[in-house]
Amino acid sequence: MDDNYLWDGSRVPEGAGVEIVDIQRLEALLGRFRTNAPAPKLPAHAVRRRTIRAIAPLLATAAVVTLMVMAEWRAVGRLGQVGRVGRVGRVGGATIGLTVRAVEGHPQIDAVKIAETGRIAVGQTLITDRNAKALVDVSSIGRVTVDGSSRVRLVDSREGYHRLALDRGTLHAIITAPPGQFVVDTSSAVATDLGCAYTLSIDEEGTGLLSVSTGWVAFELNGRESFVPAGASCITLPHSGPGTPRYDDSAQQFRDALDRFDTDADSTRRRAALDVVLTTARERDAVTLWHLFSRVDAPDRGRVFDALAARVAAPAGVTREAIARLDRQALDRWWDALGLGDTTWWRSWKRGYPDLK
Amino acid sequence: MDHALELRRMPPFGPGVQPPTAVANVNAAPADLATTIRASAAGDQEAFSRLYADYVRMVHAIVLGRVPRQDVDDLVQDVFVLVYTRIRELRNPAAFGGWLAAIARNRATDHLRHKHEQVELPHDVGGGDPIEAEAIAVLDVVRKLPDAYRETLLMRLVEGMSGAEIAERTGLTPASVRVNLHRGMKLLRERLEPAGAGRRE
Repeated sequence: MDDNYLWDGSRVPEGAGVEIVDIQRLEALLGRFRTNAPAPKLPAHAVRRRTIRAIAPLLATAAVVTLMVMAEWRAVGRLGQVGRVGRVGRVGGATIGLTVRAVEGHPQIDAVKIAETGRIAVGQTLITDRNAKALVDVSSIGRVTVDGSSRVRLVDSREGYHRLALDRGTLHAIITAPPGQFVVDTSSAVATDLGCAYTLSIDEEGTGLLSVSTGWVAFELNGRESFVPAGASCITLPHSGPGTPRYDDSAQQFRDALDRFDTDADSTRRRAALDVVLTTARERDAVTLWHLFSRVDAPDRGRVFDALAARVAAPAGVTREAIARLDRQALDRWWDALGLGDTTWWRSWKRGYPDLK
Repeated sequence: MDHALELRRMPPFGPGVQPPTAVANVNAAPADLATTIRASAAGDQEAFSRLYADYVRMVHAIVLGRVPRQDVDDLVQDVFVLVYTRIRELRNPAAFGGWLAAIARNRATDHLRHKHEQVELPHDVGGGDPIEAEAIAVLDVVRKLPDAYRETLLMRLVEGMSGAEIAERTGLTPASVRVNLHRGMKLLRERLEPAGAGRRE
């Protein structure tokens, strides 16, 4: 394939081959769908004029006072229909709370049932029985639907950072924010949003499942991390934390074997399961194989190396020895070759969020 | 065993510590991009219109790969309005492209969730134009490719972006974009072959 033409279309040799002509034909065919969308009409910004800057301190003071009054009013006075759900909006501190809406039944915030809407403050718990479902507006960055039979605590909530803890049950998150602004704790793993939509379920013992529908989620416990892409799932287990991510469209035999590998404490059975995983993996399952490097025992890394190399060639300079000692740069380079985004991106988002380090 | 990428214990890149790939678009935003983003966050609509012009093709490609064609333009506008209202939340200007792309993907997914009864117009709606029908058929095949290939190919083949532009806008390294283009094109050829669609006559 002529990568130069595919790269920028600028180098078309005389007597271009069939492949280039094919690309040109595809360009001509698909070019009709090129964007011609007009620029949108933008809403007025909250801060847009220099004159406003001049009185900004006054406005800020007024806003703070107003928020304090509103917070007190919400917490104490207005909640006849909804019930008292705690103090929210601690202006000047971290706590701003989140709006909760009852979708089905009567979700509770701590002991108080919500009729329609309420607010959950940091430290409070949203509880749904089996007939209830709730929607949590995560500031302006997304929303979380909490299914029945669930308990969700609000751990932190401030501009640019929101953290929930799912003690049990299921939540569905859709987040449109820079990576790292939305985090969900469970007892066996921490799910950090990397710009995505996902479903997370957990039982009271800490056994759970993360399924990602768009974007990526980082799933972590004590330094053991899984990066779960769209279309993939990852289990999490008490004590051991995140399992190995796998695509949901992988073969049943592959998924069953991976489950045995992740959950079985018997080393002989784990090795047998690993055999099946390595032989039934598709090229697309390279992301699973890559994660296995840090999960198999050291003597088995060579087998994983061969299996991954058969599906995605090891980049130049990435040696069996480097992988055997889990050399970071070698692992990074192979990750980059998987076509899933590169490691510089994975790191850059975290540097912007010191709380996550 | 600790995870190999070791994100949490990894020091930031600095003196003596190099990023693992040659180009790292997300590590530092060009000064003019950072300035434009700051101006947009302050309500400067002209600055935001420059961001729109620079990034609309990326967003359009992402959305086109996911939702019915008749909804694409409206959704692209929605994405940019949403971005305009939230751009002050962006802490690191260098992450703008990835952030915008994530918003576009999530907005498209959200749209599909609420419009699941909507169907794509049939291929012959364009008055029986066989070229149009073929183009739609090829687009359908591209839409079924894995995310990374689909988006990159649509940016290249539909929007006419070069590999370098795709890397700059998305924050991917040029090497990753090249891989996505190469593998995506290979996969597209394989999937077009049985139907004969998109082949040279």
